[in-house]
Amino acid sequence: MAGPRAIDAVAGWLGRGAREADDRAGAPGPIPWDPIVLARVRHLHFTARVLADRIVLGEHRSRRTGQAVEFADYREYAPGMDPRGLDWKVLARSDRLVVRRYETETELPVTVVLDLSGDLGTGETGVGGLPSLTGTKAGYAITLAATMLYWFQRHGEPVGLRLIGGEGARWSDLPPRGGRSHLQLLFLALASVKPGGRAELSRTLTEVGARVRRRSLVTVITDGMEEPANWLPALRSFGRRGTDLRFVHLYDRRELTLDLPEARVLYSPEGGDELPIDAPGVRKDFRAVVEHYLGEVRTGVLAAGGQYIAAPTDAPMERVIRNLVQVGTRPVEMP
Amino acid sequence: MSLSLLSPLAAALSVLVALPILAHLTRQRPTERLAYGAMLLVQRLVKRLRRRRALKDVLLMALRIAAVLLAVAAAAAPRISWKGDIPTFEGSGRMVLLIDQSLSMALVDGGGTLLERAKAEASARVRSTPDGARFGVVAFGPTSRALTTEMTDDKNRVLALIADLQPTMGSGDLRGGMLDARRLLAGEKGEVFVFSDEAGPSMIPEAEEEIGRLVALGSAVLPVPIHADPPRNLAVTAAHYGDGIEGGQLTFRVANYGPTTREAPCEVVLPDGQSIPVFVDAPAGGEAEARVTIPRQAASGVGRVSCDDPDLALDDSRWFHLPQVGASRVLIVDGDPGDTPVRSEVYFLERALAPWGGSSNGVVPEVVSPKGLGALDPTTHRLVFLANVADPGPFGARLRDFVRRGGSVVISVGDNITADRYNAALAGLLPSPFRGPESLADRAEEPVPLELPDTSRAPFEPFARGGRGAFSHIGAWRVMTLQPYADAGDVRTLLRFTGGVPALVSRDVGQGHVLVWTSSIDLGWSNLPLQAAFVPLTQRIAGWLGAESDGAVARVEATIGARVEVPLSDGISDVDVRGPDGSAVRATLQSGRAVFIADKPGAYEVRVTDGPRVGWVAVNLDPDESDVRRTKSLASVEAALDPEMFVRHQDLAEAAMGLSMVLLLAGALLAAFTGAAT
Repeated sequence: MAGPRAIDAVAGWLGRGAREADDRAGAPGPIPWDPIVLARVRHLHFTARVLADRIVLGEHRSRRTGQAVEFADYREYAPGMDPRGLDWKVLARSDRLVVRRYETETELPVTVVLDLSGDLGTGETGVGGLPSLTGTKAGYAITLAATMLYWFQRHGEPVGLRLIGGEGARWSDLPPRGGRSHLQLLFLALASVKPGGRAELSRTLTEVGARVRRRSLVTVITDGMEEPANWLPALRSFGRRGTDLRFVHLYDRRELTLDLPEARVLYSPEGGDELPIDAPGVRKDFRAVVEHYLGEVRTGVLAAGGQYIAAPTDAPMERVIRNLVQVGTRPVEMP
Repeated sequence: MSLSLLSPLAAALSVLVALPILAHLTRQRPTERLAYGAMLLVQRLVKRLRRRRALKDVLLMALRIAAVLLAVAAAAAPRISWKGDIPTFEGSGRMVLLIDQSLSMALVDGGGTLLERAKAEASARVRSTPDGARFGVVAFGPTSRALTTEMTDDKNRVLALIADLQPTMGSGDLRGGMLDARRLLAGEKGEVFVFSDEAGPSMIPEAEEEIGRLVALGSAVLPVPIHADPPRNLAVTAAHYGDGIEGGQLTFRVANYGPTTREAPCEVVLPDGQSIPVFVDAPAGGEAEARVTIPRQAASGVGRVSCDDPDLALDDSRWFHLPQVGASRVLIVDGDPGDTPVRSEVYFLERALAPWGGSSNGVVPEVVSPKGLGALDPTTHRLVFLANVADPGPFGARLRDFVRRGGSVVISVGDNITADRYNAALAGLLPSPFRGPESLADRAEEPVPLELPDTSRAPFEPFARGGRGAFSHIGAWRVMTLQPYADAGDVRTLLRFTGGVPALVSRDVGQGHVLVWTSSIDLGWSNLPLQAAFVPLTQRIAGWLGAESDGAVARVEATIGARVEVPLSDGISDVDVRGPDGSAVRATLQSGRAVFIADKPGAYEVRVTDGPRVGWVAVNLDPDESDVRRTKSLASVEAALDPEMFVRHQDLAEAAMGLSMVLLLAGALLAAFTGAAT
């Protein structure tokens, strides 16, 4: 349980960033500082730092035009452009107003799209109705997202978060930004959210894909439990824009093996029909369904130009993160 | 077939069928709910299993409903009833065995005849009957015979009687058999077993009344059908000779009572032994008609048509009458040679009878002078033409004898004829005495034409097909008139000139004929030889009279087993009848007829004892008996008379209960091995 001093410390970290986020989200009133949430923030921060320290990777670079060393090309001057970029020699020679552009090493905006719809909420529930950060799909997803954000922020990249579904988060859409305070804002959002609602992957991914910058990195963490034929096409917008898409397919191995001892009535937290299932009698057929589904998702992601990373909840997280931040994909891990 | 319930109230239990339906609708569902994160996959799984599961559920429910219904049905004690073909043996201990020995039972099927099978069945029935039972045996062919005079318990004797039975050549008198069976039973109840192929259109219908009487007495008629599989037979059912101007044709019919078309090799054997092979395609279940042209020269008598059929050989032949065809030796007595050919009757006659010379048309003309009549031989010559002979006196008696023995004489007149001489010399031969010549028209005028002939009369039958009109071109200027006569009985006016003057008059004398042409055959009195009808008319008269000279004998058709009556001429007091194999057949004379029973098919010859032939008889089988197909079964008749005897019953309670158990077990196995998916 966090004490008043800890709350003050977090509030100090957040500062102006929180207020700006509130303004964007239209959130009313002051932030209700919840000691449980703040404790989760600290836990997330600690876990992310530990995991990031275990991963040793080289620097990664992204490129964009900017003001630096190597000349890239010319562009016609337009009102509103910084006049310091004008190439006077060209103006003298040809009476044309052009601006010089350069290539340089620069930051790579990273957006983590995290699915916390109702289906992620199955499993144990932690304190205060929030999902346990260990042993649950939602906790695994939140921890993974926090680690990803911490990792990229530590490497100086602006990081952002887009929540899909989920309940209780003060902010569900935080565009990429730099700075520790922004990271804490993201952690606060992650710590305070609990699974709920419907994912509507197709709509959300289309929306994110249309908004991210052309050269950026988008990591989608989801269980993909909607008809793939509906949302896989939405991933193509990332590939068309040149976005580096990394798709983390999160699943609970026990759910994909229908590991139930006897007949149950199964239902989805997101709604829909209840289905009585006698698991021992249909396990063989279910395995065929799962194999087909995993293949369908993986093929769809690769076809959209993304990287596919399987993330079973019982897999060591550092291995998933290593797969995630490296270029290339690993074979799908079958349950 | 009908279904009845011995305990109909138990059917009310059928409401229990609602139980499996309720069980299906309210089957147990798991109660524990579980939030599941991979519901998308569960939904896909359910979709995948739904079709299989739906089928299984419906099958399971159907099995259970059927099981309940069957259990209820078992409680209601259902009984199914249907009409059986043959009633079972009731065991009265009095059995009459009726065995069909008609012609159709000689049909070969499965290596033996149907009669042999019937005998084997009957013998087996006798052997399998407990000792003490009493038997009667009746065999029925064209007539029925009770082989035992009364019911007997001597099995060995009964078996011996059955073993001695042979097929007959006629139809089956089932009615007589039933009558004999009723007599043997002597008014008591018993079982009458009928071993028969039930063939023929009339056998069973004719016996229905007698069967009804047996049934009315409480007896049971138990048919034991002995059928060929399939019924099949080829038979010659008709054969008839039809003559023409120059010979004729034999028309015969071949019936095929089998299920497939057959090409039958057939043979026509003429009375003189000539054989004419022919193939006939007989359609399945139908008849084929074949025609064979008879050679221009063929002896008269009875010929035979045979078609090869291995199934039933007895009816493969049919005998037919054949008159003398051609080969008529004609003696032409030339009474007026004439100074030129065209003024000679003989010139025209010779060319009309043998246009190509010789005997290529079957007529052998022989021209003699009146003195040559001494060469007249009744065994060689068939016909004598007296062509304008002046005085027949010297040979009148010879001609009378010739005619009485079957020969024929044609008389034509002319300037040489004297009525008195003819009336004196040929009295008894002329249809009517000559009165004298008379002119019908002036020579410079057109001759008086003939009236058209009646083609129903034998000499003119061929002209019904054509040529009748040509007779109207024949005419005469002058004729020999006759004393008035009665146109009836032996004397017939075959042709008349316009105005009614007789032109051609015939008279039957003994077994022969006399024809008088009242004008000339040369151009002296008529234009006959120049007319188109002359040659065919002359040929026809020669063929007709030539054949009739032998055909004067009686020709009788008869069916085997029937009484045959052959009409005889006056004065015949004793006849000799020979059967097909040449053996003597016992015959009696009754009212001028020879009467006998023909028990074999073939040609029967009737002769005056040590004298000429007086008749031919062609004896054939009844064509109906060749039809081996069933038209009505004995069982159907029996069933109509006593329906209850043919009804079979079967209780279904045990079967229903057993099947119900099996279905319940099947349902349990289905549920256990397939499991419940959703």
